[in-house]
Amino acid sequence: MLAFITRRGLLALLILFLAVSLLFAMIHMMPGDPASVILGPKASPELKAQLNERMGLDQPLLVQLGQFYADVARGDLGVDVFTDRKVSAIVFEQLPYTLVLVLAAIGGATLLGIPLGCFSAIRRNSLLDRITAVMSVAFIAIPSFVVALYLLLWLAVKWRWFPAMGAGASGDIADQARHLVLPAIALGLGWVGYIARLVRASMLEVMEENHIRTARAFGLPERSIIVHYALRIAILPTVTILGLGIGSMLSGALFAEIVFSRPGIGKLLHEAVITRNYPVVMGSVLVTTGFFVLSTLVSDIINAALDPRLRDKGRSS
Amino acid sequence: MGNKKNSRPFQINRRNFLRQSTLAGLAIAGNLPDISWAVRGDELHIRNYVDLASLDPPFAISGADSIVSAAIFQNLLQPKTDGTWDTELDAAEYFEATDDTHYAFRLKRGQMFSNGFGEMTADDVKFSFERIIDPDIDAINAVDMGTLSHVEVHDQYSGTIVLKSPYAAFIPVAVANYAILSREAVMSVGGRFSTQPPCCSGPYLFRGWQAKRKTILERNPLWKGPEAAFSEIHIYAMSDAKAAEMAFEAGQLDCAEISVESVDPLKENMPPDSAIEIHPSGRSYWLGMNQSNPALEDLRVRRAIQYAVDVEAVVEATWFGLAEPALGAIPRGMIGCRERSLIPVTGDADKARSLLKEAGVELPLRLRLDVPSDSLDLTAVQVIQWSLKKVGIEVDIRAQENSTFLSIGQEEYGDQWQDIQLFFQSFIGGADPYYALVWFISEQMGKWNWERFSNQEFDRLNDLALATTVAAERHRMYQRMQDIMEESGCYRFISNGVMPQIVRNTIRPAFTPDGYAILRGFRPAKNNS
Repeated sequence: MLAFITRRGLLALLILFLAVSLLFAMIHMMPGDPASVILGPKASPELKAQLNERMGLDQPLLVQLGQFYADVARGDLGVDVFTDRKVSAIVFEQLPYTLVLVLAAIGGATLLGIPLGCFSAIRRNSLLDRITAVMSVAFIAIPSFVVALYLLLWLAVKWRWFPAMGAGASGDIADQARHLVLPAIALGLGWVGYIARLVRASMLEVMEENHIRTARAFGLPERSIIVHYALRIAILPTVTILGLGIGSMLSGALFAEIVFSRPGIGKLLHEAVITRNYPVVMGSVLVTTGFFVLSTLVSDIINAALDPRLRDKGRSS
Repeated sequence: MGNKKNSRPFQINRRNFLRQSTLAGLAIAGNLPDISWAVRGDELHIRNYVDLASLDPPFAISGADSIVSAAIFQNLLQPKTDGTWDTELDAAEYFEATDDTHYAFRLKRGQMFSNGFGEMTADDVKFSFERIIDPDIDAINAVDMGTLSHVEVHDQYSGTIVLKSPYAAFIPVAVANYAILSREAVMSVGGRFSTQPPCCSGPYLFRGWQAKRKTILERNPLWKGPEAAFSEIHIYAMSDAKAAEMAFEAGQLDCAEISVESVDPLKENMPPDSAIEIHPSGRSYWLGMNQSNPALEDLRVRRAIQYAVDVEAVVEATWFGLAEPALGAIPRGMIGCRERSLIPVTGDADKARSLLKEAGVELPLRLRLDVPSDSLDLTAVQVIQWSLKKVGIEVDIRAQENSTFLSIGQEEYGDQWQDIQLFFQSFIGGADPYYALVWFISEQMGKWNWERFSNQEFDRLNDLALATTVAAERHRMYQRMQDIMEESGCYRFISNGVMPQIVRNTIRPAFTPDGYAILRGFRPAKNNS
């Protein structure tokens, strides 16, 4: 298992390096005038030159990239050109908001999606299965921002059950939880349908396998067969998807953060891109890409832990 | 010991999970009805369109910074809250120009800085002004100080600000706009700060800033002026106007700038106890023409384009009839604003056609129009495209991301400025007409003067208008400068746009003439006070 984790860890680092380098190049090769956006028309050529020098934009791209990695190795993500604050402080100040939102969304989707998928598989072609199928496709098909807007209009604006903006008062967990409900539903609803369909398909496949028939032949209770034998195998693709899901939600959280005026890494990145605040852009990109890679790595490890064949396959190949 | 299971503080099993989830759900649901109806007492909750960047005067660059600064700091003078560009005394009890280059001031006594930094003195005025022009700190706002030389301190409360040469914009741009900070406080944080001011002196104190969330101000107990109207002001950083509108409708904001397209729907379905105020923005929108481009070298072609554009139609479509067509680059209500533009706002398509014919232009004439990819700008250029098509000019609209757009006319970013033909541009002005016109002098060619407009009389008037302090003379000069711009054929002035605000009837807001909130002027409405 350790060898598996080491192999996957090194691969994850390589992916992170390539992804961040690519994004760095894309961001820095964009045409435009960051100094004019940042400083406005009042800036003298000298001030613009100073800013470009401070951001390293006067250097060739490869030098800038090398400098970026050298700084990252020292734990230095640079300084925000507007507030003069450390980018690492800004990013790690915003990250928890997004992580909590993503975990609430994916957690809620998993808690609903897995039982729905299981019931649909067990009660195949029943009314519940049909309703779940229709609802799942509907959840997947409706764009998340539409869900967000209607949740906002009905539950916040019309009925005022939930707050329409913000992340809640600092230190007040109940208030923060209330502020989390609507954005988490908006972000996670599509995943409920997706997970339910995935679990149903996997369960149907697994339930036909020999070891399930054997278990039944031994007279094990159906609930035990489903939970301990079928679901354990059927859940594997879902774990993989959840890893990717957390990664994609980290970027997808942007719309929820904007619609619900929540702080978060998505909103930070969005504003930094618009204002060409390169140090903040790169700091945010590095951290979100890192989390994406990390979440897929963790899902791979969980998969390997649940199914030893996966790590054996890796060893033999 | 008898029941081992019960000795564990928390065990994850199905029953426990369901029990905990239900309890958590009930806890949340139990609070549902009063969530958005939280009693806020005498608090004010307001939207700011961006987050704070810097509250340090030499480095503050956005209107959002200024909104907060004006509430927590004092200037010598401050803008009036009556919707005009006039100023009134703030920290100064006396402020007078003794000649064109000397301004004498005397501070009110007993004005205290927070955090124990003592009383405001003339030395703090000296520090605050001279710091901005100190070459060692490379202040982005040094340009606002114009010809400032130094500040002479006479005693603890009085002094004289000395300019090197007359600078007419000094009062509105510098004196009424820049805060007096405590020398000791600023030096205690290393001589520079950003979003954590070391001291305050205005009617409100800076209580805290949560990045990308909000800024909280509270009533300043040391403030000697009329008591601040609200115990707390919460200023939310909300870049999205639609999100702000919904937050207002949900009862979480008392005042918010809203989008132009939402004004009519909101008026038809107005939230209870609310009203919409429409303020012109300080932004000037115009259609620019690069006269050095071969397709636009002929004055008659540029004049034809000026006549072809129906400004009234552009304004109606873009701002839904809420804005007025521009009279020039200087907005209404400011010195130098013209009574009318030289070319009728509705244009004159026949005149445009005859000018094109006179110039011998082969129709259709194909031109490129560069524009920032903002929905408002795109709407405007589509109407311009339609106007020009009527006279035989085919316009290819090229929308670009804002940062890219800002570089296309600047020579330091390559030769692309030569390819510019038409462009839709906008600038935010300031409290003085100087800032509306300075971008078009010959020296700005290749920087912000993308029209490559150059006129000796214009340049001379720009210098003269800045050097004279006689308002009537300045007024005439700036009017003439705008006439020159229009006569050059390089500009078709469109509008100053609007900044609509939705406001709760329980408060009486205060805004600058260009639509920014003046927080210290916000009061509870009379029937609520």
